[in-house]
Amino acid sequence: MITSSLSESRAPAIDIRCLRVDYGDFMAVDDLTLAVPAGEVFGLVGPNGAGKTSTFRILTTLMEPTYGEVVIDGVDVLENMEDARRIIGYMPDLAPVPSDLKVWEFLDFHADAYGLGNRQQRRQRAAECLEEVALTGQRDCWCKELSRGQTQRVVLAKTLLHRPRVLILDEPASGLDPLARRDLRHALRKLADAGNTVFISSHILSELAEMCSSLCVMNRGRLLASGTVDQVRHQLGSTDRVLTATVLARQQEAAEWLACQPAVHDLRLADHKVVFGFTGTDDAQADLLDGLIRHGIRLRAFEEKRSSFEDILVEVAESNRHP
Amino acid sequence: MNPEPPINPPVRHAAWKIWANPIFRRYCQSRLRPQGLGLALLITVIIAGFIVAMGSSLGVRGTMTTADAARNGIIPLLFVQGIILFILGTAQIAGGMTAERDEGVIDYQRLIPMSPHAKVMGYLFGLPVREYAMFLATLPFTAWSMWRGQVAWNVWLPLYLIVMFSALLYHFTGLLTGTVARNRRWAFLLSIGLVFALYTIIPQMAKFGLVFFKYLTISPVFEESLPGILPSSAGAVARAAQRLLPTVKFFNLDFSESVFTVFSQGGLILTFIVMLCRKWRRAEAHLLGKPWAAGFFVWIQILLLGNALPLIGPGDLFPSHGLYRMVRVMPDWAPTRDEAVLLSGIYGFVTLALMLVLATIITPTADNQLRGWRRARKQGVSTLPHLADAATGFWFVLVMAVAGAVGWFLFTRALVESSWFPGHQVPLTVLGYFTAVMVAAGLGYQTLLESKGGHAVSLAIIFVGVVPVLVGSVLSVISDRFAPTATWLIGMSPASMPFYASGSLLSIAELPTQVSRAMPRAFTFWLLVFLLVTAWLAAKLLAKRKAMAHHMLAIPQVGPVTQDPP
Repeated sequence: MITSSLSESRAPAIDIRCLRVDYGDFMAVDDLTLAVPAGEVFGLVGPNGAGKTSTFRILTTLMEPTYGEVVIDGVDVLENMEDARRIIGYMPDLAPVPSDLKVWEFLDFHADAYGLGNRQQRRQRAAECLEEVALTGQRDCWCKELSRGQTQRVVLAKTLLHRPRVLILDEPASGLDPLARRDLRHALRKLADAGNTVFISSHILSELAEMCSSLCVMNRGRLLASGTVDQVRHQLGSTDRVLTATVLARQQEAAEWLACQPAVHDLRLADHKVVFGFTGTDDAQADLLDGLIRHGIRLRAFEEKRSSFEDILVEVAESNRHP
Repeated sequence: MNPEPPINPPVRHAAWKIWANPIFRRYCQSRLRPQGLGLALLITVIIAGFIVAMGSSLGVRGTMTTADAARNGIIPLLFVQGIILFILGTAQIAGGMTAERDEGVIDYQRLIPMSPHAKVMGYLFGLPVREYAMFLATLPFTAWSMWRGQVAWNVWLPLYLIVMFSALLYHFTGLLTGTVARNRRWAFLLSIGLVFALYTIIPQMAKFGLVFFKYLTISPVFEESLPGILPSSAGAVARAAQRLLPTVKFFNLDFSESVFTVFSQGGLILTFIVMLCRKWRRAEAHLLGKPWAAGFFVWIQILLLGNALPLIGPGDLFPSHGLYRMVRVMPDWAPTRDEAVLLSGIYGFVTLALMLVLATIITPTADNQLRGWRRARKQGVSTLPHLADAATGFWFVLVMAVAGAVGWFLFTRALVESSWFPGHQVPLTVLGYFTAVMVAAGLGYQTLLESKGGHAVSLAIIFVGVVPVLVGSVLSVISDRFAPTATWLIGMSPASMPFYASGSLLSIAELPTQVSRAMPRAFTFWLLVFLLVTAWLAAKLLAKRKAMAHHMLAIPQVGPVTQDPP
């Protein structure tokens, strides 16, 4: 079992222990143990069916796990649901909005339910939240008339209304254009800087890599890796990279020497280049470069291309499809 | 972690402060917008105005007095009000709740810091707020008709109180349907179907000895009020017809129709509130807790008996007596023996059906049980609390089976030992048989559901409960020669057991010659088979629960979780 080991010095804002969720015979989350440090933007990534939404629904008290423990900001979520709900701000997947309300009415209703003062105070708070998500101009629009990105932002504004200490956002960036994603990233960063914890899920790794300080990867209900982006890449065994050595001369000799080295594969020649796959560590790669030079090969350039996060996700998804 | 204290301290929205309820206010905002409301009110006012004007004009043009003419519009208005509140209001509630789930916003409502009671009240009065406005728009016309028609306050006040109380009952039905049904169209159809059934099918059960069900409608109070709200000539006819109807009796107590209707509907409303609050508190919770389900079952038994027993002596309980009152074709009426046996069987069947519904509600699924054991393990105990949703429903269904058998026995004994059938007795052994029937059918169902799940139960209902009855019925129609075979086949269905029990055990039963031997034998045989199967299923269930407990308690306890941030 892989457990997260992030920022051990700080108390975790979200502490999940041995969480398991069953739907009849199907196990959606299997023995998940995870600690999300306070003040982080922490990402949870995985293909569809990885168990992200089930995990989030348990964190937000919307569902009871088969077993396991969940503590958010010192509150046992399964025992003190009401207390937990006051700490949490939850934005569900697809960010639904009621079709029969205007944006300000939607926010005012939630502000009223959370007891955020009288009508004037509620409207002021709603205006602040709309400003925070750059949607002040849409205050009087019908919720159903908003674009996907605007809807996401309205729901984020609703989530921020009661100033939750822990934000749980399920796929918040889906459907957002690059500009809106950048705004969202800034907004989340600002919240984290103010001491709040943001736990965010996505099936798009690159999106999370942009937004999160740390992340974890789930597949088929299990935690596969967690840590910083590089740590996750390493834990997933995704050290494979494509190296290209551009030589001035002796191309054939360079290729023969490289072919004898460990961790080198799929070698081919092109123009003045030797292109090959390499699965070794960063140290081994440095040694390889050093050896090539010592062997008397004159290099004009040495280029590295790593697998993208998207490639890693495809690998994970493939293993999900073919267990 | 966060140096700032949370801005939002615990909020308490009192359930009774409807006007301050955020959910109610949210629906006032969306459903009372001038455009939609204006059109609805306009249509309502036009219809109500037309009814009153037409009724009054027709009366004045005829030979009616001004007061009688004004009364002409009261019943059509009541009909319109019924459509607005009962049909449109209920459908709006059921559809609105499902729409919340379809749109996905129900999760927000689950998370907002309002008590389950406040949420229920918010939806109950908020979703149909436009229908309430439409109803209010008809009231001036009703008031004018009552005033001009000189209708006494003690006639219209109970009637309208019961209209409102019934509306609440149906709205709760819609709310529950909308909360439980997964699909908006289904919720709409189900709620309309339930209201329709409450008005047409369920009151028919009153004609078969189950008088209580009549009081789930406004019909008894409406019939009582008729002489006071109809024009004087029609009112006299209604008054004469009313004298033919039995008055409401509950054991030896006399109640007015309106009081007893409130009493009957109130219990159901209370049960609906409990169901809804449980669902709002925790989505996975059972609709009813085990003690409440058992208590509700006993309460229904008391109501059924309380209404039925006083009607046996005067003969009002028997369906043929109702016919006799209307047409008076027989000079000396007396109930037939078959009628009494059938009434006993129907009582047993309805009791069994109600028990199965409640058993379904309180029986935990495998997931429920696993969650219960998780909690037990966390709390360091090795057993589940008996009243928890995860605990077995076995013992409570057993209690219901015994209570149901006692109720059925008391009803049957009062029926058979009444003055209508002199010399007949119901020995105590019949109580033993009735208990065996309830235990075999009720506990068999419950243990199968708890140990094998809903799919197995569905198959059992089809192949053991329904198919034998259908095949047996076809056989019995083909030829009299097949009657004994058909009797054996039909007896295989637990649904037929109450009828077989009454037909086989009661001394007043006069079975047709073709089945006189087969029915008692089939009853005894199948009863024995079902008892054995139930015992086997109970043993399997016990073993399964033990294994699950062993497995869950054996999982090592996780380390202490962080409770307090430094």
